[in-house]
Amino acid sequence: MSAPVYLDYAATTPVDAGVAAQMAQCLTIEGTFGNPGSSSHEYGDRARSVVEAARSQVAAAVGAETSEVVWTSGATEANNLAIFGVANYYRDHGRHIVTARTEHKAVLDPCRELERRGWRVTYLVPDSSGIVDPAQIMRALERETVLVSLMHVNNEIGVVQDIEAVAALCARHGGVRLHVDAAQSFGKCHIDFASSGADLMSLSAHKAYGPKGVGALLVSARRGVQLEALQYGGGQERNLRSGTLATHQVAGMGAAFALATADATDIEGERCRIAALQSRLWRGIEALGGVLRNGAAAHCVPQLLNLSFEDVEGESLLAAVRPHLAVSTGSACASATNEASYVLRALGRDERLAESSLRFSLGRYTTEADIDRAIQAVADAVTRLRRIGGK
Amino acid sequence: MNYSELTRRYFETAGAAGVLSGGCVGRGAAGTRRAGTWVQFDIQLEPGGEPQRRILAARFLAFGCPHTIAVAAWVCERAAGTFCAAALPETAQALCRRFEVPAEKLGRLLVIEDAWAAAAAAAQATARVTIS
Repeated sequence: MSAPVYLDYAATTPVDAGVAAQMAQCLTIEGTFGNPGSSSHEYGDRARSVVEAARSQVAAAVGAETSEVVWTSGATEANNLAIFGVANYYRDHGRHIVTARTEHKAVLDPCRELERRGWRVTYLVPDSSGIVDPAQIMRALERETVLVSLMHVNNEIGVVQDIEAVAALCARHGGVRLHVDAAQSFGKCHIDFASSGADLMSLSAHKAYGPKGVGALLVSARRGVQLEALQYGGGQERNLRSGTLATHQVAGMGAAFALATADATDIEGERCRIAALQSRLWRGIEALGGVLRNGAAAHCVPQLLNLSFEDVEGESLLAAVRPHLAVSTGSACASATNEASYVLRALGRDERLAESSLRFSLGRYTTEADIDRAIQAVADAVTRLRRIGGK
Repeated sequence: MNYSELTRRYFETAGAAGVLSGGCVGRGAAGTRRAGTWVQFDIQLEPGGEPQRRILAARFLAFGCPHTIAVAAWVCERAAGTFCAAALPETAQALCRRFEVPAEKLGRLLVIEDAWAAAAAAAQATARVTIS
């Protein structure tokens, strides 16, 4: 039997071969292995050059200044740094945060922790299409509000939030800080940090053909955002994130981001290709009947397709397609808990339909043949399970 | 979740899935789809008037997890040729061990147990009606 078709690019992507080659050059005695923090010799200077070149690549790819890029171990750390960093620095201005129920756990769990520390958090419920109406944000803002944290592209359903509109509201409300979790955004839609109006933005490398273990927090310089550091010991990254930088990881993120934005024609062509594949997948599976699409198609990135299947038990569905397909139920981070997706529940899906959902996420290496195999595997599984279930 | 080889085999083949019709067939069900587990058994007894009669065939329908489907399929396969009884061929606890079912799923095997008991009672009742 051939390997399962990989349709879980929203969980992670393979590292681009060219990116991996550049990373490898930062590891061995022949390469740039020095500590970028070492200023007393050439090895350190060369490593620092690699780090700064990568910083420039990431900044250029997302419309930020190089001074605004703070390296982290990934988007989870970036989210933690943004939320706790703002909360700790601005705690004398108020102790209220606004976010949404459909955020990633890397945002929700820090908010829960702040609640334990006495903060108040308003969790907005999106409409059934997954959209958080900016008017909801406006109503939720209080004099005590110091931060709004809203994701750009939802990791489960792919719906895109109107960040610019939310940023405008925050600016009008006495400059409430806006943090955007954009871990899923890069490579799926255009990011321009400067014009977005966001104060803080979390990025991940491994969702965009870069390595795991590295990400960045963009901290707006022109808006004068201040953060309190979460870790100490060396003062790297402008005292915001102490610790020796992993040159090879940082180089990998820079290379991946540069590659993804190298050619505008290629980007549009790839977007159209993925959109056509997603449409083919949806049409093929929809024909089964009793299939519900999660997230409004008009507001979703084409890379993600989240479907709920009527009259099929979720765990059995995943087990039945598993030999043929690599897909997720809910987010990969939530899969270990085997609970119905809280994102789909927040959209109003009942527990059964939330459990019987599959997230298909397409990427650079997805082919038409992959899509046809996926349709067949899902059709076989759903038909068989419905027959066993007497439907 | 990882499944034992036995669970995978019975889940993937589910050979006894379906329904039975005709004389001496009793049907029983337990659980609800809304709660996540629903199982139905059809049990066909051999004709005759003896109080203890053998099972000719058993079939199941199930809405549930792979463990639920695998155990229901195994129960049907194992029951054929045995004397009809309200109890499963093995206790729910023994089935948990055989299929390496996580402890938190024991409740789902109890649904199977209830469905089987209901089907066995219905089959025996059907036989009594047939005799009279």
